[in-house]
Amino acid sequence: MDLRDSFRNATRAIWAAKMRSFLTMLGIIIGIAAVVMLMAVGNGTKQSILSRMQSSGSGNLYLTAGARSNVLMGGNPEGGAGGFAASRAGVSSGAEITTQDLTYIEARVTYSVVVSPTNQTNITIKNGNTTMSGTGIFATPTYFQVENVTIADGRMISDGDVSNRTRNVVIGNTVQTTLFPNESAVGQLIRINGASYKVVGVAASKGETVGSSVDTAIVLPFSVGEKSFGIAHNRVQRTTIECVDPTQTKVVIAEITDILTLKHKKVDFTIQDVAAMTALVTSAMTILTALLAAIGGLSLLVGGIGIMNIMLVSVTERTREIGIRKALGARERDILVQFLIESSLLSVSGGVLGIVVSVLGSDFVVSRFTTTVITGSSILLAVGFSIAVGVFFGVYPARTAARLKPVEALRYE
Amino acid sequence: MNLIEFSDIRKAYTIGSVTIDALAGVSFDIGEHEFVAIMGPSGSGKSTLMHILGCLDTPTSGTYRLEDHNVSELRSNDLAHIRNRDIGFVFQAYNLLPHLSALENVLLPCTYSTHVMSGRDERARGHELMERVGLKDRMYNRPVEMSGGEQQRVAIARALMMDPPVILADEPTGNLNSKGAREILDIMKDLHADGKTIVYVTHDDTIGAQAERVIRIQDGRVVADERN
Repeated sequence: MDLRDSFRNATRAIWAAKMRSFLTMLGIIIGIAAVVMLMAVGNGTKQSILSRMQSSGSGNLYLTAGARSNVLMGGNPEGGAGGFAASRAGVSSGAEITTQDLTYIEARVTYSVVVSPTNQTNITIKNGNTTMSGTGIFATPTYFQVENVTIADGRMISDGDVSNRTRNVVIGNTVQTTLFPNESAVGQLIRINGASYKVVGVAASKGETVGSSVDTAIVLPFSVGEKSFGIAHNRVQRTTIECVDPTQTKVVIAEITDILTLKHKKVDFTIQDVAAMTALVTSAMTILTALLAAIGGLSLLVGGIGIMNIMLVSVTERTREIGIRKALGARERDILVQFLIESSLLSVSGGVLGIVVSVLGSDFVVSRFTTTVITGSSILLAVGFSIAVGVFFGVYPARTAARLKPVEALRYE
Repeated sequence: MNLIEFSDIRKAYTIGSVTIDALAGVSFDIGEHEFVAIMGPSGSGKSTLMHILGCLDTPTSGTYRLEDHNVSELRSNDLAHIRNRDIGFVFQAYNLLPHLSALENVLLPCTYSTHVMSGRDERARGHELMERVGLKDRMYNRPVEMSGGEQQRVAIARALMMDPPVILADEPTGNLNSKGAREILDIMKDLHADGKTIVYVTHDDTIGAQAERVIRIQDGRVVADERN
């Protein structure tokens, strides 16, 4: 029996029992839609986390005091307050990075790097009667380069601001809109922890990033930290080092580790790079996505049982037809293939409809709540799964049909 | 030359602890181009005999030769092949597939044939056979749209599709009125005249009288084998 005949027969049989076929397919539609949509949520989450992590540049290294073994738990590439709390917890007593350390590294490292030392503290910002809390980031002009922060209005912190300890600040986008809803903040005076500062620039919005956002921060000259916020002299909480050639990050890590170990006589610091953290997040999120797909797969299993059930009913109903076909020369294999094609066609049609439902569903419904990404591989997986379900759950009914004895099948009323 | 050789064919059914011999040692030969009626009352074993003749069932013991095959030793795939190529079935209940048109029913055996005919040749032969049974204008009707006699003629056309040497008819006129029955019998005689071997199972003496030879079965045994 050639395949075209088989497909025509199968479509006919499915069409002949439209309602029943549709209800059977519905199980697969729901199953496939669940798998594809849950994977879309998993992939979407992964992608948004990765894009936040990589928004500060893939060639960045993060140098913090204190030796830590667990890279995944300790690191926070965006330098949020939470990240610093975590890194401080890991600092062994007395271990610290100083501006002298950084100068020492810069003088010795052979690759081209941009070094951005930062300190950070929570602050209260006030303009007139409006008050908000935010993060004070004490930084040098290199901060804007390594963290990809651009200026929307005014100018950056300058080297002069840093060396002169000028009370000039760059404010985040949210700070601007909260404190100065109707006018540009550039040139205005604001109060930070009670003291007066002049706004020289407004940073462009970067949206939500991992950890705290620059949008709710105020960037102050690095030297102002130790003068007015009680940060120890020359102390650097966190340093971002950008490798100008991102392919050389591993070598640069090794080099800096050697240089600093030599100076400190021990490894009392940690260097992390975005690539390594990205790899960890990727693998963790891949596991999460697989888990979500497995949960969706459960409903696919139920759909498959539905197919098996209906195929068994169909075999019983068509016992006489099977007998007639056998009398006309159908071999066991012919009958087996006929019913397998029928069950596969049911589940594949269900699978295709399920994909349509999931694409519509994730574009118009789920995407309102979270990022969804439907990948080609999840579509392929869904199609593959639905074929597999059709064949797997079709085998038993098809074998039952194929093994009917012609005499008994013909006698069936 | 013998087309069919039945020697000491037995068929036993076991129901619970009781064994029933539906066929208790049946032997006969049927030559090429014969028109044989197999007759017997219901329960005589003639249905079982028919099923074994048609390779729809296998005997418990004994040897069945059809042409040059020892059918009693064949496996299910080979039996399917024989049913496809060597035997044309005509059943009492017509056994047409209800969702297919008359022509599609006639073409159905081609689906299972290893001898591949082109689609055009198949259809041409289907048309020719429908014309031969006088249903040229009913080719695209479904079985439900046809009378019993017409359905049985479609079944005969289907039986002829693969041009088998043997036509095996099991009470083909059992469900028909006398006019329909006469038409079927006439077609059978035509086929016989064209060289087919006809094995015709019936319990109707008037039909038996028109066969060349009558084999009578009773209680699973051949009780008479006469030539008219």
